[in-house]
Amino acid sequence: MDSRLSNSSSSTHHSNSKKRKKNATANNTNQKTLGVAWGSKSLSASSCSSRKSPFSDFSSYMAHKNCKLQNQFDSEASASAARKPIFSGVSIFVDGFTVPSSQELRGYMLKYDGRFENYFSRHCVTHIICSNLPDSKVKNIRAFSAGLPVVKPTWILDSIAANRLLSWVPYQLEQVASNQPKLSAFFTLKSSKMSEDTFTNALCQVEPDVQDSFPRVGQLKERHPSEVGEMVEVCRQISNESNDISSKKTDVFMMEEPIGERVICDEEKLAEANSSETNNERNTEGELDPTYQEPSTSFSIPCSDNQNVHQFPSSEATGSSKQCHSTLTDPNFVENYFKNSRLHFIGTWRQRYRKRFPTLSTGLNNGISNSNKSDIKSVILHVDMDCFFVSVVIRNKPALFDKPVAVCHSNNSKGTSEISSANYPARSYGIRAGMFVRDAKALCPHLVTFPYNFEAYEEVADQFYSILHRHCNKVQAVSCDEAFLDFTDAMVEDPELLASSIRKEIYETTRCTASAGIGGNMLMARIATRTAKPNGQCYITPERVDDHLNQLPVDALPGIGYVLQEKLKKQSVNTCGQLRMISKNSLQKEYGMKTGEMLWNYSRGIDYRSVGIIQECKSIGADVNWGVRFRDMKDCEHFLINLCKEVSLRLQCCGVQGRTFTLKIKKRRKDADEPAKFMGCGDCENLSHSVTIPLATENVEILQRIVKQLLGCFYIDVKEIRGIGLHVSRLENADTSKQEKYTLKSWLTSGSASVEKQKYHMGHNKHNSDCANCASSHGCIHSQGSSFQIDNKILNIHVSGDPISTPPPLCQLDVEVIRNLPSEVFSELNEIYGGKLIDFIAKGKGKCESSSSLGNSLEDDATCKEEDLPYSDPIPLNQIFSENKAMQHERVLGSGHGSCSQVTHNSNIERDDLLPSSLSQIDASVLQQIPEDLKAVILEHLPAHRAQDFCSTPAICPGRINQDSVGVDTSKNCPGTVNHALNDSLWAGNLPSWMDKFKDSSCLRKLGEIYHRSGFNSQLSSVLPQFLSEFHHLDLTQEIYDETVNIMCELLKQYVKVKIERDIEEIYICFRLLKRFAVKSQFFSRVYNDIFPFLQAAVDDNYGGSLFMP
Amino acid sequence: MQRKENETPQGQAASVLVEFLEVAITAVVFLKGVYPSGFLLPSLDSPSSMPFLFFFFFFFLLLLLLLLLLLLLLLLLFDVGKGAFERRRYMNVVVQRARHPQLRYYIHATVSGLLPFLQKGMVDRVAVVFFNTDNVPLEKFIFKLTVNQSYGSSVEGVDLQISLRSFLAKLSVSESLTKKLPPDCRWEITGNFQLLPETGTSKEANFWIPTDTKQWEQPLFITPIRSMSSDPLCLQFYIEHPSLSESSVL
Repeated sequence: MDSRLSNSSSSTHHSNSKKRKKNATANNTNQKTLGVAWGSKSLSASSCSSRKSPFSDFSSYMAHKNCKLQNQFDSEASASAARKPIFSGVSIFVDGFTVPSSQELRGYMLKYDGRFENYFSRHCVTHIICSNLPDSKVKNIRAFSAGLPVVKPTWILDSIAANRLLSWVPYQLEQVASNQPKLSAFFTLKSSKMSEDTFTNALCQVEPDVQDSFPRVGQLKERHPSEVGEMVEVCRQISNESNDISSKKTDVFMMEEPIGERVICDEEKLAEANSSETNNERNTEGELDPTYQEPSTSFSIPCSDNQNVHQFPSSEATGSSKQCHSTLTDPNFVENYFKNSRLHFIGTWRQRYRKRFPTLSTGLNNGISNSNKSDIKSVILHVDMDCFFVSVVIRNKPALFDKPVAVCHSNNSKGTSEISSANYPARSYGIRAGMFVRDAKALCPHLVTFPYNFEAYEEVADQFYSILHRHCNKVQAVSCDEAFLDFTDAMVEDPELLASSIRKEIYETTRCTASAGIGGNMLMARIATRTAKPNGQCYITPERVDDHLNQLPVDALPGIGYVLQEKLKKQSVNTCGQLRMISKNSLQKEYGMKTGEMLWNYSRGIDYRSVGIIQECKSIGADVNWGVRFRDMKDCEHFLINLCKEVSLRLQCCGVQGRTFTLKIKKRRKDADEPAKFMGCGDCENLSHSVTIPLATENVEILQRIVKQLLGCFYIDVKEIRGIGLHVSRLENADTSKQEKYTLKSWLTSGSASVEKQKYHMGHNKHNSDCANCASSHGCIHSQGSSFQIDNKILNIHVSGDPISTPPPLCQLDVEVIRNLPSEVFSELNEIYGGKLIDFIAKGKGKCESSSSLGNSLEDDATCKEEDLPYSDPIPLNQIFSENKAMQHERVLGSGHGSCSQVTHNSNIERDDLLPSSLSQIDASVLQQIPEDLKAVILEHLPAHRAQDFCSTPAICPGRINQDSVGVDTSKNCPGTVNHALNDSLWAGNLPSWMDKFKDSSCLRKLGEIYHRSGFNSQLSSVLPQFLSEFHHLDLTQEIYDETVNIMCELLKQYVKVKIERDIEEIYICFRLLKRFAVKSQFFSRVYNDIFPFLQAAVDDNYGGSLFMP
Repeated sequence: MQRKENETPQGQAASVLVEFLEVAITAVVFLKGVYPSGFLLPSLDSPSSMPFLFFFFFFFLLLLLLLLLLLLLLLLLFDVGKGAFERRRYMNVVVQRARHPQLRYYIHATVSGLLPFLQKGMVDRVAVVFFNTDNVPLEKFIFKLTVNQSYGSSVEGVDLQISLRSFLAKLSVSESLTKKLPPDCRWEITGNFQLLPETGTSKEANFWIPTDTKQWEQPLFITPIRSMSSDPLCLQFYIEHPSLSESSVL
C-alpha cells in the first residue's frame, strides 16, 4: 500500500515531464506506445530526456512534435494493408468541424496514401478541408489559406467513391468560391467548350469503334475542363503570390511549369490524335514526377484509368468456336441475351407501361381512399389473355388456331430448348411450359414451334391496356397480359355484359382471346378467371363464393406455391374447404403470422387488397443464368462490364440510383454433369456477396469497379461459373441525389444557368412594375413570374441539357394553360417532362412558397410608388383593420377619383392567380382608365372572389397603407387604435409586419432597415447591437415620443411571446443587450423599464422562475 | 451515426438526444468538479522534494525487482493519476467521459431509461441537481425539451448533432455562470414527466421512482445557457439558482 502511494507521487512527477509530449489524439494505441517509451527511457535513467529538456523554445518543440506525428502517421499508414494510392501527393489539413470528422478523414488518408497534417503549414499542406469558415477567415482568406485550395470534405468522399482523385474545383467551399473573381468561371466555360468540340472531332476520326471510345471521350472531356480550372487557379495564385518571398516563388514556378507543358501535350494530342496517346501520357507523367508533392500530380491518376479503359477492346477475344450463344464467343452476349429473354421482357414491361400510362397509374392512387367504402358492393374484374405468348405469335395465322403451337427459344434439331408457352390444343397433349422441345415433340409430333416476337408482344400489350383504360379508370397491371379492373365506383349494372364487351373489343383489336373473371375482390376475380379459361368469363357472386371455394384445390389460391402445397398436403389439406377447418391460430403457428393469416383469409374468399396499388421496386438487377461459360478471367471481366452496362441502363431507365450492390454467382457443383439443357446452368451452388457504398450511383464505371471487387471476394475459378447476377438495392431517386452530387456537368453549366436565372429575375421585376401600372392587364405575365418560384432545380436540370431539343423548363409553363390542355396532350407532355408535370400542377394549385427575393424586389418597387404617389386623404389605420371587405369596397367607390391613396401592389402576393387580394391594392387611376364594361367586371369579381382569402390571411394583407412621415401624427391622434393594430401578430409572416409600422418613425425605421439588410430570418439579437450603435447617434437629435417607446415595447413584447417557449437564450441575449444600452440611452432605459416586468412574468409563466440579469 | 431507416423522426431525434444527454450530463458533472478531475491537480499541491528522493530510491528497488511488477504498477498508476474523467471526442468536440464504471453506468442507465419516454414526448425536463450535505439543492442544470409529436418528415441526424454540439461548446465556457459548490456535495439526475409513467407497464417505467427533492421556497433565478429549436426537437438548457444569495448581491 505504501509503495503504491509513493509510486503515485513519483508518477505525477514523471507525467509532468511527459505531458508535453502527449498527443492530441487520445487513442489507445497511442497511450500504449507512450507507456512503453516511458518505460524504456526510465530504464536508462541517466539519459532521461526530461531533465535534459531538448526543447530550447516553442518552435523546436513544435518541430519535434510534428516530426513525431509524421512518424506515427507513417507507421500507421504502412501498417494498414492494401492501400490504393488515390490521394498520393495530397496532404490535407482539416480546419474546424467537418462531417465526417477529422479523425475519419485521417483514416481515409491513411488508407488511400494521402497525408494528414495536424498543424497547418504552407509547405506540407496541399488542401485545406473544412465545411464552414468564420467570417473573419473568409474576409482575409489569403492569410488563412496561404493560397491553398479550401475544399469541402465531400471531395474526399467522392474521390474515394470514384476511386480516383477528382478535381477539387467543384468542391470548393462556397464561402470562398463566391469571393473569387468571376472571370475564372467565365474562362473555363468557354475554353472547355472549345476543347470539347475539338476533342469529339478528333475522336470521331480516330476511333471507328464508337462503343469503346465512348467512356474515354467522357473521361477526357471531364478531365480537360478541370485542368483548365486548375490552371486558372494556379495563375491567379501566382499573380497573388508575386510579392511573396523568393523561396515560395520557385515553388510556384515548379508548379506552373508542368502544367504549362501539360496543356501543350493536350494540344499535341489533338493534332495527332492518331498516335499512341498513352506514350504521351507517360512522358508527361515522368515530367511531373519531380513536382510530386504539388497538387498538379493529381491529374496523372485519371490518365492511368484511361489506359485501363483502353485495354478492353484489345483484350476482347475473337474466338472461332462454333457455338455462337455463349459468353465465350459473342462479345455482345449480354445484350443479345436480354434481347431474347422472355422473363426480361415481362420484367421490364412494367417500366414501359408506366411510361405509357403515367397519368392513369398515378391517378389511381388518389382513388384508393374512395374504394374503401364498405357499404358499396365492389366489383373487380380480372382480365387475362389466353396463352399470350403463343396467341400473339399466331394471331395472323388463322390456320394455326386449332393446331398445337408452342413458343420456345430456338428450334434446333436436338430439341434441348425449353418451351415457354403452349396454346390450349398443345396443352391437351400434355405439353407444359418448361418442357424440353424434344419431349414435347415426342408427345405431339406435329407440334409447331415459334420463336419469340417481342415487338408483337409489346404492340398487343399496348392495345390491350389502352382498351382497359378506356373502360375503367382504375386499372392495376399485373403483367403484360393480365390486369385487374375496379368497377366499384362505376356502378355497373351488369358486370358480365361489361366483361363480354371488353373481351370482344380485345379480340377485335388484337385477334387474341382473353378470359375474364368477376368477383367481389381481387382474389375472387382471379379464381373466377381460372374457371373461365380459355376464352370465357365467369362471375362469382358473393353468394356463390363459399360453394366455389369449397372444392377448389389449395394450389389454385395465389400465394400458395409448391412448398406450401406440400406442407398442406402433409396435413391432408387439399381443398379450400379442408383448409377452412383449421383455426386461424394454428395456421399462424404453423406457417407464420403473415402466411397463416393469408391462408385463413383466402380460404374464406377474403382479400383486403385494393386495386391500384403499385409497389415501388426495391431492387433492380439483371441475372444471366444461361450460356455463361468463361475460359479465363478476361472473358469474365468483359462479361461483367456488359452486365454492368445493362444494369446501369436499367437503373437509368427507372430514374434511380442504388447504394447496395449484390453479385450473385451460380457455381457448378463439383459432381454435376454438363446440364441437360443446352448451355443451361445445371446443378449449381448459389453464392452471393454484397457491398454498400456511401453515395448512391448508377454510373457504369463505378458499377464495374464494384463488381470487379465483388468478384474478387468469391475466390472462384471462372470456369466453374454458370450464372451471374448483379442486383442493386437501397434505391434512391436519382433526381434528389443529383442535386447533391457535384457532377462536372452541372458545375460547368451552373454558370450559364445562373446567368439565365438572373435574366428571369430581371424580367420578373419588370413584369411586376408593369403590373403595378396596369392592374387590369395582369394577364399571364404575372403567373409566369410567380411560377418561376416553383422549381429552380428543374431549371438547372433543363439548362444543362441540349438547348434545342429540350422543351422549355417547367417553370416557364403557364399552369392555367396546362390545366386546360386535352388529356392526351397533357399525358404526352407529362411524358416529356418525365412525370413532373403532375407535381407541377399540384404545386401550382397550392400556394406557392414565398420567396424573399420576390418580396424584396416587390417591396422596393412599392416603396418607390409610395413616395411618388400624391395623396390627400389617408384612410386611418384602424379602419383598414377593423372594417371588412365590403365596406372597403364601398369606400373606394365612394371616395371617388381623387381621394384614393391606395397603393398599387401588395408586396406579399405569392399566389399564382392574378387578381390582387383586395380592391385597395388596385390603382384607382388605372381603374379610371379602363373601359366601363371591363371595370364593371373587375369590380364585380373582386370582392366576392377574394373575401375568404382576405379573412384567412390577415397578417399578409394589412400591407401597404400609405402613411409616410405623418404616420406618427396619425398614431398620435388615435393612440388606442395603434395599439389595437399592433396586437395583430407583428412577427407573423415571412416579412414581419412591424416593418411596415415602423416606416413612420425615423429611428425605428432604421431598425427595420437593418433588419432588412441582415436578411429577414435572422434573430433580433443579431440585429440589435448594430441598431443600438446607430441609434446612439439618432438619440441625440431625436426627441423621444411616448408612442415610439410604446411601439418598441410592443415589438419586444411580441418577440418575447414568440420566442419564450422555444428560445429563451435569444431573449436573454436581447435583454442583456438592452440593459447594457439602457445605461447609455434614455430611450432604451424607458423601454427596458417598461418591458422588464412583462418579461419576468412571461419567464415565470413558462419556466417557473425569473430571468437572472446580472 | 447510421440510424435505422424505419424509425420515426421522433425516435431518431430521441436516440440522438439520449446520446447527447449522456455526454452533456457528464460534462456538467465534470464542470462542477464533484469528482477529482485530473492527475495534475494533486501534484500541484504536493511538495516536490520528497517525491524526488523517494522516486530514485524506489525506482532502483524496482529495477532490481521484476519487470512484470513494474508493468503492473504502471497500470495502477494510470488509474490513480488520472482522476475521474478522461478526454474523448464526441461530435468532434473534446468532451469528458467518466472513468469510473459505476458513475458511467449511472449516467448511461438513467439517460437511456429516458429513451422510450422521450420518444413519446412525455419528458418535460431533465435536471442535474446538486445538493449540499443537508440535501438542499444548490444548483440545477435543466434541459427543458419538447419533442414535436406531429412532425412527420425525416430527421437529418447530422444536422441535429451539429446543433447539439453547440451546447457542449457553450457549456464548457460557462463555468463562470455557475456557483462554486461546497466540498461535500452530492448530485442526482431527475426527470420531470408530464404525466407519471404507469408502473408495471414496462421495464423502463419501473425504473423511475418519485423523487423527494426539496423544492426551493424562494423564487428562483434562471440563467439560460443555450437554446435550440429544430423540428422535431426543441431543447433549452439553463441553470436554476435559488435567489437568496444573488438577490442580496443585486
